Amino acid sequence: MDFLLNISPICTAFLTVVIPLLAFLYQAIVGKKDQSGLVGTLAIIFSFVLSLLTFLDVWNAMPLSSEITWFKIGNTTFTVGILLNNLSSLMLLLVSTIAVPVHIYSKSYMHGDAGIHRYWMYLSLFCFAMLGLVIMNNLLLMYVFWELVGFASYLLIGFWYTKDAAVQANKKAFLVNRIGDLGFLIGIAIVYSQFGTLNLVTLFGNDGLIANTSVENGLWISPHNSMDAIWLTVTGISFFLGAMAKSAQFPLHVWLPDAMEGPTSVSSLIHAATMVAAGVFLMSTLFPLFNDTVLLIIAIIGTTTATIAAYFALAQYDIKKILAFSTISQLGYMMVGIGIGTWDAAMFHLLTHAFFKCLLFLCAGAVIHEMAHLKAHSKQDFDPQDLRNMGGLRHYMPQTFILMTIASLALAGFPLTSGYLSKDSIIISAFEWASAKGPMFQIVPITLIIVSIMTAFYIGRLLFKAFFSELRIKSLLGSSVDLNESPKLMLWPMYFLGICCVFPLFSFNPISYHDAWVMDGLLVQYPYETNHTAHLVIPMILTVGALSVWVLAWRWYAQGQYPLHANSLANRISLNQGYLNIFNEKIIVNSVLNLSKLSYWIDRHIVDGFIHIFINFIQQIALLSHWLDKNIVDGLVNTFGKIALLLGNFARSTQNGKLQTYLYSVFLLVIVGLVYLLLR
Amino acid sequence: MPTLSLLIFLPLLATAIILALPSRFKDVYKYIALAITAVQLVLAGMAYFSFNPTSTGINTLAGYQLVEQLPWIRLDLGTIGKLEIDYLLGVDGISMPLLVLSTFVMLMAIGASWNMKKSLKGYFALLMLLNMAVIGIFCALDFFLFYLFYEVMLLPLYFLIGIWGGERREYAAMKFFIYTLFGSVFMLLVIVGLYFSVINPLTGAHTFSMIHMMNPDNYVAGSIFALDGYQEIFGISARLIGFIVLFFAFAIKVPIVPLHTWLPDAHVEAPTPVSIILAGILLKIGGYGIIRVCFSIFPDAAAQSNWWLGLIGVISILYGAFNALAQKDLKRLIAYSSVSHMGFVLLGLASFTAEGISGAMFQMISHGFLSAALFFLVGVIYDRVHDRYIPHFRGLATIMPKYTAYVAIAFFASLGLPGFSAFIAEAFVIIGTFNSASLGTGLPRWMAIAGSVGILMSAAYLLWTLQRMFFGQTRLKGGDSWNTALVDLTGREQLILFPTLALALILGICPFIVFDQMNASVINLVAFIQQYN
Repeated sequence: MDFLLNISPICTAFLTVVIPLLAFLYQAIVGKKDQSGLVGTLAIIFSFVLSLLTFLDVWNAMPLSSEITWFKIGNTTFTVGILLNNLSSLMLLLVSTIAVPVHIYSKSYMHGDAGIHRYWMYLSLFCFAMLGLVIMNNLLLMYVFWELVGFASYLLIGFWYTKDAAVQANKKAFLVNRIGDLGFLIGIAIVYSQFGTLNLVTLFGNDGLIANTSVENGLWISPHNSMDAIWLTVTGISFFLGAMAKSAQFPLHVWLPDAMEGPTSVSSLIHAATMVAAGVFLMSTLFPLFNDTVLLIIAIIGTTTATIAAYFALAQYDIKKILAFSTISQLGYMMVGIGIGTWDAAMFHLLTHAFFKCLLFLCAGAVIHEMAHLKAHSKQDFDPQDLRNMGGLRHYMPQTFILMTIASLALAGFPLTSGYLSKDSIIISAFEWASAKGPMFQIVPITLIIVSIMTAFYIGRLLFKAFFSELRIKSLLGSSVDLNESPKLMLWPMYFLGICCVFPLFSFNPISYHDAWVMDGLLVQYPYETNHTAHLVIPMILTVGALSVWVLAWRWYAQGQYPLHANSLANRISLNQGYLNIFNEKIIVNSVLNLSKLSYWIDRHIVDGFIHIFINFIQQIALLSHWLDKNIVDGLVNTFGKIALLLGNFARSTQNGKLQTYLYSVFLLVIVGLVYLLLR
Repeated sequence: MPTLSLLIFLPLLATAIILALPSRFKDVYKYIALAITAVQLVLAGMAYFSFNPTSTGINTLAGYQLVEQLPWIRLDLGTIGKLEIDYLLGVDGISMPLLVLSTFVMLMAIGASWNMKKSLKGYFALLMLLNMAVIGIFCALDFFLFYLFYEVMLLPLYFLIGIWGGERREYAAMKFFIYTLFGSVFMLLVIVGLYFSVINPLTGAHTFSMIHMMNPDNYVAGSIFALDGYQEIFGISARLIGFIVLFFAFAIKVPIVPLHTWLPDAHVEAPTPVSIILAGILLKIGGYGIIRVCFSIFPDAAAQSNWWLGLIGVISILYGAFNALAQKDLKRLIAYSSVSHMGFVLLGLASFTAEGISGAMFQMISHGFLSAALFFLVGVIYDRVHDRYIPHFRGLATIMPKYTAYVAIAFFASLGLPGFSAFIAEAFVIIGTFNSASLGTGLPRWMAIAGSVGILMSAAYLLWTLQRMFFGQTRLKGGDSWNTALVDLTGREQLILFPTLALALILGICPFIVFDQMNASVINLVAFIQQYN
């Protein structure tokens, strides 16, 4: 074991990333011949072990960085390198820790699918890209992996490529993410222009370029260059645009609910726990680059996202859609954490959220799996993801029910769960931030409290609708209901995640987030005072609020005393996701398509029209010159010819050999001569 | 060993052999063409890897490598002086990668011609003639020689489109011919003007040497293109006019909007191998000409007008992309995407930053074989069912999985997925363009932002096509007969596609293979132009 401990963390981190790549290559080469996914699963287990070693070495130690030259353009050298600090090693560990149970779960969940070899291949590719993203030491490479995770997500959303909804969804996901990527790219261009480097250590290290940069007299001055101060704001917004797309912030969140077309195991890993959190990670990494304007924008967008997504989650019937909106809403919380300057709290929430949301998805997957099984078995047609078809499932799947309840409690932020700690950390900090800023800013913490209570309500609704009362499609099925607990291979990973949803993993003090080791390790200095009353009052409001809405949800959904009109306007807006998709489709997509049709029309009729006119013009000139040639030039020549001919003929006619004519001519000539002489 | 001469004249040898062989040996022609092209690729590859990356190229003959110089035409013209035309060849970091690209794409084109049936003798003879001309263009350093190859290139292309093309081939060939001839006729005037303005300092005679034309000291005082002379034509500086004329001559090739409409028609009508050559090599001659001729001989005018070049680049990017989105014919879509992607070349070049120009060069190379691969892929389904209308296909992934995988990789590579070459190219064009304002070379920053929208658009039209044609339940216009006709890729097709896409991946991961060889030349070019800013 000494040998293992002597390997440098850089080396272990490198291997952590590369091993899934090798698994991907292996699966790509053997293709259909290996459907077991054993190589991919083993690879991610190795990665996990190595990332754990890396983490233990790096956490709370000196940051490490190592790089080699990649290529040189002009006089700038671009490098490939790894940066290991608390933030990146934590993310590295998180990603591999989540990936392991998902791989194991998938072995059972995806069993028997015809394209399963592709599934393993894509999954390994995703792990490679995601692990690479978190440890890269420069922005260009982060961008590379940033897009690669998007690509892997594209492949996995469209895994069932014969399903129209799936291939629409993956296209949408990629395109929306591309919008964000443009922001990222522009951000890179600005940073490169301003600092002459993209290296994170040179930029953000102690006494790095950012630390030596200032805004004076409307100029943004770095040791390398200076530009107008507005570009500092533009930089922040550009990078945030990237994070908005990846982390599904309003209004670029539209791809995430659709992305649920992918296999549920994929949703749990990519669209709940890891990839969608990459935006938050990026924001944390680049935090020193943001000025107050940008941070305020981030906070506002984050709050809006949290609210709107929670509202949309209220009336969804598709179990995965509820969880998708819940993810969006929680990502909104994290963004608020960034916006108010407490990116350690954001990262803490990212961490706890990853576990409980992954578990929620895996539980939902287990439910869907069984419902789909029931559907296939009973030969009835119903949507296995629709809550309205479920009910009473706790009788059939008790373990899944318990696990789902634990995860739901964590999401709702009940005490003793991890979610309680991390969510409180954001809301309380938001309150403190608002207190320092001014009364208007209190909107943010107040909204967050309301959203937190909404969160408790919608997850309570899901839980009670799915697991309580009676199975609603029982009448369809006749006598036997063939519903069973999930297989062990699915349950074990869920148990593991369930353990990760409670407080001891993160803090030995279940009440105060200040003792959480994550917060200690990341250690952000807050620019405002701690408010002890808030630390007491806000958790109480949240807990009481959550408890009361659970009681309400239980009465409404478990006991069937639903008092509202199911088809009310508020419900319809929520169910239809605020009609945003229709708006996108009708207004944005259509106008782009119309613009493209217009430009093709211009191309064919105006641009080509000019060419045709030009060609026509040339042809007309040719015809004209042909006419001129024939009638004028040739005409002249012909006229001369004709004149010559006439003269010739005339002259010839005098030579007719008759003596009389000759005499007549002589006589005529003499007359003419005489007349000439007389008249002279 | 006169490598460059060998590279140029080997295909001519092939033409001679093919013409000499009687038609009963017609099955041998393609092997001759293949062998000669393969030898060329090996030669060019060897030259590439023995290339000295420190040589600076551009404006000094000493910076070039594999230089061959022979006096070619010497005529005493009495009072006008001595006519001096040299057979002058050489490569630098700009032309070397393009030379390798040309031989590679030519090999692909031969591979794509394997099942050609119609008048094989003429076809392969013309193809080899074209091969000679394009290699010649990349090697020639004497403007007269350059022009000669440039014009010779038009002839085989005209016939290749006009005889072996599709239904409207004559229209397309004519359009192509008129466009390019229009450009080159005016180019000739500028060449003559340059000839009378420049003197070879060694012999005192007027010269066609491009290298001499790049040195301001060689201009005769008071001559039409003299740098100090402020000669004017119609009230505009003569040097600016000269630059504009040459720029448009090459820009038609690139092509730029609005001089691009020959391209979609030529592509749609041309047979697959000719499309491959058009997209893979011919468009690059435009970009190459802009660097070698426009920027290097008229750096002052280039520095003066780069805002416009950048604007044209941005317009081409966006306009091409929007047009591509509107297409129903797959080949036309790819053709318009070429317009959009080549717009990045112009934008990058106009930035006059090392990043931008390197990005533009990289884009030319990357687009060279990626567009070749795309046209080849279009040819695959067209070969099988003689149709390539996007709405006529659906769910091809189920019946042609390998083909779909290749198409998906090619599409993602050309929409700039990191890991593939186009990403490096486009990213650095954007970065370079953005940096241009900070370095004071003049392109405004909004051009970088507008250009980046092209990256989004390319994802839109390519992914939409992927979704419409390849995913979903299989539904074909031709029904069952198409279903049987649409067999998956053959071994030959994979043999051509695999190396191409592998190359895109290799260059995407190891861009230094190209950047290292051209960096010194790019730095020199940037410095050379910057002194006029």
